[in-house]
Amino acid sequence: MTHPKTPHVVDARYMEPPGPFVATMEMLDTLKEGEKMLLLLFREPHPLYKVLRQNGHNYETELLPDGTFEILISR
Amino acid sequence: MLAFENAPPFAAPLRFFLTAPLFAALAGLLVAFEGPDIFASRWTPGALAATHLITIGFMLQVMLGALIQILPVVAGASLKRPVAVARVVHVGLTVGALLLAAGFFFGAPALLGIAALTLGLSMLFFLAVTVSALIAVPTTSPTIRGIKVALFGLSGVVGLGVVLALALAYGWPLPLMALADLHAGWGLGGWAGVLLAAMAYVVVPMFQLTPGYPARASWWFPLFMLLMLLLWSIGVLGDWSLLVRLGQLGAALAGMAFAGLTLRLQGQRRRARPDATYRYWQLGLILSIFGLFFLLTVAIRPALADIDGWTLMFGVLLIAGGFIPFITGMLYKIVPFLSWTHLQTCGQAKVPAPAMNKILAEPAMHRQLLAYAAALALLLAAIVIPAWLARPAGLAFAVANGWLWWNLAGAIGRYRHHQADIEAKLAAKLTAP
Repeated sequence: MTHPKTPHVVDARYMEPPGPFVATMEMLDTLKEGEKMLLLLFREPHPLYKVLRQNGHNYETELLPDGTFEILISR
Repeated sequence: MLAFENAPPFAAPLRFFLTAPLFAALAGLLVAFEGPDIFASRWTPGALAATHLITIGFMLQVMLGALIQILPVVAGASLKRPVAVARVVHVGLTVGALLLAAGFFFGAPALLGIAALTLGLSMLFFLAVTVSALIAVPTTSPTIRGIKVALFGLSGVVGLGVVLALALAYGWPLPLMALADLHAGWGLGGWAGVLLAAMAYVVVPMFQLTPGYPARASWWFPLFMLLMLLLWSIGVLGDWSLLVRLGQLGAALAGMAFAGLTLRLQGQRRRARPDATYRYWQLGLILSIFGLFFLLTVAIRPALADIDGWTLMFGVLLIAGGFIPFITGMLYKIVPFLSWTHLQTCGQAKVPAPAMNKILAEPAMHRQLLAYAAALALLLAAIVIPAWLARPAGLAFAVANGWLWWNLAGAIGRYRHHQADIEAKLAAKLTAP
């Protein structure tokens, strides 16, 4: 799946936990320096935010009208 | 997405989850003991005692336990020393609920006074701790807004409750009935209803694999409910009945809209097989719509509240038909899920955790659900024919909630067994050459 913001997308909206966390960490490992990935979820992933901050990643979150949180994560 | 390294230890929420069903069972026994008289009106000592055994002993108990557990996950806010907070709040709530119920039942002013003090101080402490954890958290999602508004609602229901208990105990000249209605409005709408919605925004899509809640409605629901309760409060203070009715009407419609929307989302779920949580939520959503319909009718025609059983029907449908099923359904997800995540952590990725259905099997939950549904049917029928059904309904309610305790306690027993097993396997792996 691709997206206008980045070709690297994890659509975790219908995944059961801990699927979204695992899929995000796996995709982050495949990104090159400067690349970004997008995580789609129906909630804000605060525990993931904490791990991202600890590992030095930046992220921006946007809530779409249908209830999707788009989380754009920089490598 | 629920990494639990920053979540509190299991002991923090567990004490609440295991105490709550005992309170609901006690309420059932009280109904069985009192018999038909308890259904005479919602103001009988027995009805007041049973109501508060359920609302404080069961509902508030689980909601606070769950909030302590879930704040880091849904709001990124961690409580300092969660186990100590849980211990203090749990003792205050348990002792306070028992004293309050005893105060109502025996008509003892001293007990009502001590209960008001115990519950008031416990909740003040809980609010201080959670507000200080949340104060620096930006409101980036409807869930965080909902939690903040719900805590305001909690302060409203507790404040009014303390005033009402003291007014009863010391004979203060206050409009007790109007204030009691308002107290119930803040408790069921401003606190429990808004908190339920805030949690539903996260857990319904996550556990039942439904679409998300539309953003605009999710942002507005907590604020709208708050606005309606403020109108209702101003109406009571100024003795403006139109404002009171407008607040009730708005709160009822908002609640019905939330329940209707959740039913629609559940209809689009991607999980093929309905589980106990899903069925409990379906039951709760449908019956709370019926319950709120009774509130709606009273808001439009206040004289309906004088019909025998009308307000009792509202209370039983919304509390026993709506909130208890929502909460039980959540407990059936949370307890196995937390057990599983703690076992995962315990195994340190070297020893796998057992599947969640090994901790609490679906058939056990389903059978308890059937028992609860039967108890609920009896309870609703007992409002119409109390002479025959009051005692069987109370007993059935006690059995169904005792069964819930049995299921949860069994799950914790298996969790501890697996934990010991994993620790032994881990030790063997680490010491192996």
